[in-house]
Amino acid sequence: MHTARERVLWSIGILVVLLYALIPVVWITSLSLKTPDQVGDKKFFSGISFENYEVVFSDDTFIAALINSLGIAAIATLISIVLAAMAAYALSRLEFAGKAVILSGALAVAMFPPISVVGSLFDMWRAIGLYDTWPGLIIPYMTFTLPLAIYTLSAFFREIPWELEQAAQVDGATPFQAFRKIIVPLAAPGVFTASILVFIFAWNDFIFANTLTSTDAARTVPAALAFFTGASQFEQPIGAVSAAAVVVTVPIIIMVLIFQRRIVAGLTAGAVKG
Amino acid sequence: MRRGSSSIRAGFAAATAAVAILALLTGCGVGGEEAGSGPRAINWYAFNEPGGSYQEAVDDCNKQADGRYKINYVKLPNIADQQRELLVRRLAAEDDDIDIMALDVIWTAEFAEAGWIKPWEGERASTAEEGKLEGPLESVRYQDRIWAIPFTSNTQLLFYRKDRVDEPPENFTWDAMIDQAAENDSAIEVQAAQYEGLTVWINSLIAGAGGEIVDENGKALVDESATRAAEIERKLATSAAPPGLSTNREDEARIGFESGRSDYQINYTFIYPSAEAIKGFQDKIGFARYPRTEPDMPSKPPLGGFNLAVSEYSNNPDLAFDAAECLANEDHQAIAAEKGGLAPSTESVYERESVTKAFPFADVLRESIDNAAPRPVAPAYSDISLAIQKTYHPPSGIEPKGILETLRDRIGKAGQGEIF
Amino acid sequence: MEAAQAGATTAAPKKGTTDRHKAERKLAWMLCAPAVIAMLVVTGYPIGYAFYLSLQKFDLRFPDEKEFVGLSNYADVLSSSTWWSDVATTVIITVISVSIELVLGMIIALVMHRAIFGRGPVRAAILVPYGIVTVVAAFAWRYAFDPTSGFVPGLPLVPDDFAPLTDKPGSLLVIILAEVWKTTPFMALLLLAGLALVPDELHEAAKVDGASTRQRFFRITLPLMRPAILVALLFRTLDAFRIFDNIFIIQPGGAIGTESVSILGYNVLINRVNLGLGSAVSILIFLCVILIAIFFVKVLGTSTAQQRGEA
Repeated sequence: MHTARERVLWSIGILVVLLYALIPVVWITSLSLKTPDQVGDKKFFSGISFENYEVVFSDDTFIAALINSLGIAAIATLISIVLAAMAAYALSRLEFAGKAVILSGALAVAMFPPISVVGSLFDMWRAIGLYDTWPGLIIPYMTFTLPLAIYTLSAFFREIPWELEQAAQVDGATPFQAFRKIIVPLAAPGVFTASILVFIFAWNDFIFANTLTSTDAARTVPAALAFFTGASQFEQPIGAVSAAAVVVTVPIIIMVLIFQRRIVAGLTAGAVKG
Repeated sequence: MRRGSSSIRAGFAAATAAVAILALLTGCGVGGEEAGSGPRAINWYAFNEPGGSYQEAVDDCNKQADGRYKINYVKLPNIADQQRELLVRRLAAEDDDIDIMALDVIWTAEFAEAGWIKPWEGERASTAEEGKLEGPLESVRYQDRIWAIPFTSNTQLLFYRKDRVDEPPENFTWDAMIDQAAENDSAIEVQAAQYEGLTVWINSLIAGAGGEIVDENGKALVDESATRAAEIERKLATSAAPPGLSTNREDEARIGFESGRSDYQINYTFIYPSAEAIKGFQDKIGFARYPRTEPDMPSKPPLGGFNLAVSEYSNNPDLAFDAAECLANEDHQAIAAEKGGLAPSTESVYERESVTKAFPFADVLRESIDNAAPRPVAPAYSDISLAIQKTYHPPSGIEPKGILETLRDRIGKAGQGEIF
Repeated sequence: MEAAQAGATTAAPKKGTTDRHKAERKLAWMLCAPAVIAMLVVTGYPIGYAFYLSLQKFDLRFPDEKEFVGLSNYADVLSSSTWWSDVATTVIITVISVSIELVLGMIIALVMHRAIFGRGPVRAAILVPYGIVTVVAAFAWRYAFDPTSGFVPGLPLVPDDFAPLTDKPGSLLVIILAEVWKTTPFMALLLLAGLALVPDELHEAAKVDGASTRQRFFRITLPLMRPAILVALLFRTLDAFRIFDNIFIIQPGGAIGTESVSILGYNVLINRVNLGLGSAVSILIFLCVILIAIFFVKVLGTSTAQQRGEA
């Protein structure tokens, strides 16, 4: 069947892929565990010291940024999924003119260069007082994730056998019961996957977070990383930035590892179930 | 059916609920907390001074204020460009959360012209000016008004390895220094990355030859001194350059000098206390005034430092002025010198024992600051600085011959608000 | 597949006439309305506003000098060498990184498709770059190549003073590396979706006919994957053209000639708070993106039909 040579080649190939994916993560982790004078030694692992983490967790700015990131991404995800689910339901179940227009429009929004929009948003938000607030970020996030959510949910919804709902109603269930007991469980995996993808997008964003915030009130972690303070006016806070980076990455990696099948299914529009 | 999916749903719903509650609890992110019926909150936006002297000034002033106001020290990032970015954005949004700001000396004209800071008039102007060295004083003046009170100052000195080279003579020029370093097969640490530090260097080179870059309206005044500056930069880059010169900032320069790869270093005074960490190294460091561009003209050292300005959009301007005056007083300047290695802006503070102990080079320091050349005072300064940076970078790639024309053209465009 | 599903719910042959159709249409639009409104308001309005701003001379540091100047901001941008060299830099980064991603992504997709074991770890591994915050990865790469603290200058075959971030080609190299590292997984997944659609029977038949692996790949797999490849290229090219995060962190401000068009827009708009000029740059970037999309769809024949659920 599979020769030993084949197995060896595949093992090497897989190892290469693993190395590729993990080198930066391992590197930044090793930096975060170094003491300030070990930073310049150019080695991967010099030992384990948690002082950078102590610095990071005692920094109010960083804690605030974590809370901002979490809250803003979660709320944006919630709103985006609700809006997208409604639209995806219509797009996959109902027949009406304008489907193509809406889908093409969503595609256009996905292709938008954010820089073209941040300038106006900056001016608009400062005029109506949304600058440096949670809604100020939630609104662009939920909008720019709509195309991704709509496409993912449409792909999943198309797979749902809607006749089951009608069958249940024929059997005596009310429309709401049929919806709740049949459709919702079938739709849940798709909704969950779409939520993960949208959350990752919002968690990751930098350009909006950077431009539309300026203090702890709404600055998210990516923007906070870029503005970390160091030991002196001129010193580079490599250790602190690395520790903060690790703190921000670990939850995502865990989430990605647990939900990898769903994410792959979502990103390949259902073509690959894992 | 699928039992897995209902537990997923439940988990998801629970997570959402938890986050929603969290969101409600932390509020929709309105700015700083108002103190309510207690003392008025005065927010001071300044960089995070690592020695703790700024914090001490805050605590001291809060005690002295006796309940009239309470200063909050809001910390900004280390890099001047980032501090500016954050301040500009908030001021452009007319944010009332800022009361006092620690302005880098180069932002005075820009912020004043944009209407973001309040002028100091009458008695307050006298307090701001009293006893200050000439360099810092000039940095708070724009169009004949005073716009901030000088606080801490900064300048660059020439640091050298006493064990490797002789003490520089009084008319020590850049050319002579480069020749000496090249002879020893060593390097000179300067800041030549494409950032504000490069403008600092070029500005002092040009001023040292008697030249000026722009006038108050941003019109280009450059002459052959710009070419001279380019020649010196290129000579250094080709015969006495440390590796990584084109990305050298203050900290890279310090680390490079400490590693022993250079005999000379041009940098701010923070490198001196920093060198204590290496055993016996501090004793090897000698210091002198900034080198000359021309042998017969005294050098014009660079001027840095922070001035305290009151925001136009502050809700408590009178209290803010009072707080700023307190923060910038002589005692706090002395503490900043001791703990933060920051030079005072008031002349008399240099005579204090604590200051002379903190700076063995206190005399050279004071002399340098008094004779310093400020960077161009013009509202479009950040654009002009960008034009200079682009023209003089990378150090090994510049061509002195055509540089005057290029610089004039770029500065002209910068002043007009065009792309350059 | 999908079309049959959609069709099964309609009854009447003529569209738009029966009451049922009208009710369905009304419901559909009501369901779509919130999403559509959100997208219009948050993208359509700001673009319109940006266009309006671009016609003014408006610098927040000189608030008294605001005035209408027509197209002169555009003339200024299009006649400045900085704009064109930034476009060139952006195009270089885009072309190189997308090409590398296509090849690497295809390899990874094939590995995931055909691996005889270890699919799980591979799948998990390639999702790490996808999930990680771009800024975090950018810092990791920047620190990796730092001449004083990075591990790359310390590697065996690398010269001790290797400092790519001090010159333009080196900086572009690191930026492209960071970009490719981060987005190849996404490309791989898009290609994997296309791979999964190639029927195995064709491969079996070709094997029976004596075709080699290479022949099968280039004669069967690639041509059948063409639509998926084009879609993947379209998305990735647009993404690469809009590059911002990696450059911002690895060479702040777009220094040493690495300024991309988005960074230029940011510098003018947010740093120099020159809203008029910056908006002109924004609109021009937007037009470039539209041009790229049109090129892919009209000239290369990219069909987004599958995304729209019609294939």
